[in-house]
Amino acid sequence: MRFNDMMLGAVLLAFAVVLAGFAMTFPAIPGQRFGAGLFPLLIALGFAACGIALVLQHLRSPHAGREPLVMRTEWTQKPGAILAVLITIAVMIGYILLSRPIGFLPIMALMTLILFRLLQVPWWQALLFAVGGTFVLDLIFRSLLMVPLPYGIIPYLPW
Amino acid sequence: MDPISQAFDLVLQWQVVGAVVAAAIFGLLVGAIPGLTATMATALLVPFAFFMDPVPAVGMMVTCAAMAIFAGDIPGTLLRIPGTPASAAYAGEGYAMTLRGQAELALGANLLYSALGGLFGTAVLIFAAPTLAEIALNFSSVEYFWMALLGLTCAVFIGASSPLKGLISLFIGLFVATIGLNNPAGVPRFTFGSSDLLAGIDFIPAMIGLFAVSTVLSTVAAGAPAWEVAQKGMGNIFRSWGTLLRTYWRQQLRGNVLGTTIGALPGAGADIAAWVAYAISRRFSRQPEKYGTGHVEGIVEATSANNAAVSSAWIPAFVFGIPGDTITAIVIGVLYVKGLNPGPTLFLFNPQTIYAVFLIFILANLVMIPLGWLVIKLTKRLLQAPRRILMPLILAFCMVGAYASNNSVYGIVVMLVFGVLGFFMEENDIPIAPCILGIVLGPLLEDRFISAMIRGDGSLLFFFERPIAAGLGVVVLSIWAFSLIGWLRRRRKLAQAPAG
Repeated sequence: MRFNDMMLGAVLLAFAVVLAGFAMTFPAIPGQRFGAGLFPLLIALGFAACGIALVLQHLRSPHAGREPLVMRTEWTQKPGAILAVLITIAVMIGYILLSRPIGFLPIMALMTLILFRLLQVPWWQALLFAVGGTFVLDLIFRSLLMVPLPYGIIPYLPW
Repeated sequence: MDPISQAFDLVLQWQVVGAVVAAAIFGLLVGAIPGLTATMATALLVPFAFFMDPVPAVGMMVTCAAMAIFAGDIPGTLLRIPGTPASAAYAGEGYAMTLRGQAELALGANLLYSALGGLFGTAVLIFAAPTLAEIALNFSSVEYFWMALLGLTCAVFIGASSPLKGLISLFIGLFVATIGLNNPAGVPRFTFGSSDLLAGIDFIPAMIGLFAVSTVLSTVAAGAPAWEVAQKGMGNIFRSWGTLLRTYWRQQLRGNVLGTTIGALPGAGADIAAWVAYAISRRFSRQPEKYGTGHVEGIVEATSANNAAVSSAWIPAFVFGIPGDTITAIVIGVLYVKGLNPGPTLFLFNPQTIYAVFLIFILANLVMIPLGWLVIKLTKRLLQAPRRILMPLILAFCMVGAYASNNSVYGIVVMLVFGVLGFFMEENDIPIAPCILGIVLGPLLEDRFISAMIRGDGSLLFFFERPIAAGLGVVVLSIWAFSLIGWLRRRRKLAQAPAG
């Protein structure tokens, strides 16, 4: 997904307005004229300046009015490409939601298995790498680096 | 005991040497795989650095970065796909040599001059950093403000191909840095009642998202196709070294000096050094017509420059706490986590740590030669490593790493958001590096800016009252002015072109 200059500029301007609105509400340091609001306000001004520059750049360019606001980049023309990206993102969201109730081992193995299959890795390789990879990660992070990966429904593993 | 022998004690331990060698192998492998950058390799090491002592942690990342910058030359030469952006300047030249069956000459030159360049940059770092640190001890908030601004300015106006898009990226980074309680007034900003956001955006998952997850997403979108290698066999890479050293010592020296200088600038790193060195080499060559047809001269100069820049980029990082590029930005984040606040006081209070890191630099550039030779030998198999198996494993690794940064799924949420943001930015040609520098430098910039504003009672002239501050301020403002004038001129030319 690619925004043209007009669209990107408009998004930046809108964001700048929201940012400035929030920045105005921040209180100053007691007894001082400056506080938490000044820096975000300057950033908002910066965003606004970039937005205006992009809009002007678009209006002056020969493509003005002829380009669609949002273009599909080259890779999106490939069948299944957008779906692949969406599935990858969905898998990450799934892990975020399910890892605590169900546990690291089953969810991570499932997640990598889905991704392997998405990339058309043969079943036996996909299963091997999904399960093997998950156990290696478990070994490195839980056993060596002492990261408390969620157990979920899986009982405590002794290594 | 003096700091130098303490430093030797710190380095010569099996954990440290082991971590350096492991990081070297990791950096070489990641750098050699096209599409996985040196920055990504460094970002992936952060979760490990978290659990280690400061010296092995920093040593590991330093080594990994140097290796990945060298290893990026390998796919650049064999496939014309630079492993890291720092190799992009001469990937075409190297590939032309491969097509002529001279891949071993090109890769041999890359290995030799990468190691020598790294050592040159390290030597300058060792001698220049303590002296600069003494000067930096006199810096007040105003000088730091200008230094930070200079770094950001260089990243936007020199580093990015389009200054406007670079600015957008920078403002995104600065905005991200304002989230949370960590500001001069101690007011929660943009937290929307979330207790996770109060601590601010965690730097590590943001980094993993921007560099690794966005790469995984774009590779998955492309269906992770395999690569085709042009040259099948690989000869002896050492055979040409004697001739190369005798013929091209001038180019080497020029590349080293140029790379070190560019690397030492805050906000400019190895990528820019390689491009400038290649262009200068062509400009001063006796045979400029041979460039682009598979001529080793330009490769020698550019590869000497990029590794020298990797070493000297640590000068502003250690001395001022201002990162020179994305890799140093990540390591500065880790230094803060480790309680080693980068800046001149590091040289005062922890000289043994700094000397230990210097020793690791030397060690890293020395082990580069045998390990690099090994990787070049294995390279054909390495390039056959199927990306469709690598990508899911990298993603799994990223998720566990992001989780490990504060042991909660909030880290993975941050990683995902920044992964999608990075993907969107790449789609729109918005560079990622200024954003990272913004996230890292944002708190420092704001803190120094507000305290200078309060001390100067709102007078902007206060920013120019001290001599060094005035000098830095003039440099920053003139870079802005020149960029603006250049941009307006190009606009005008473009506007006139259809009419004329």
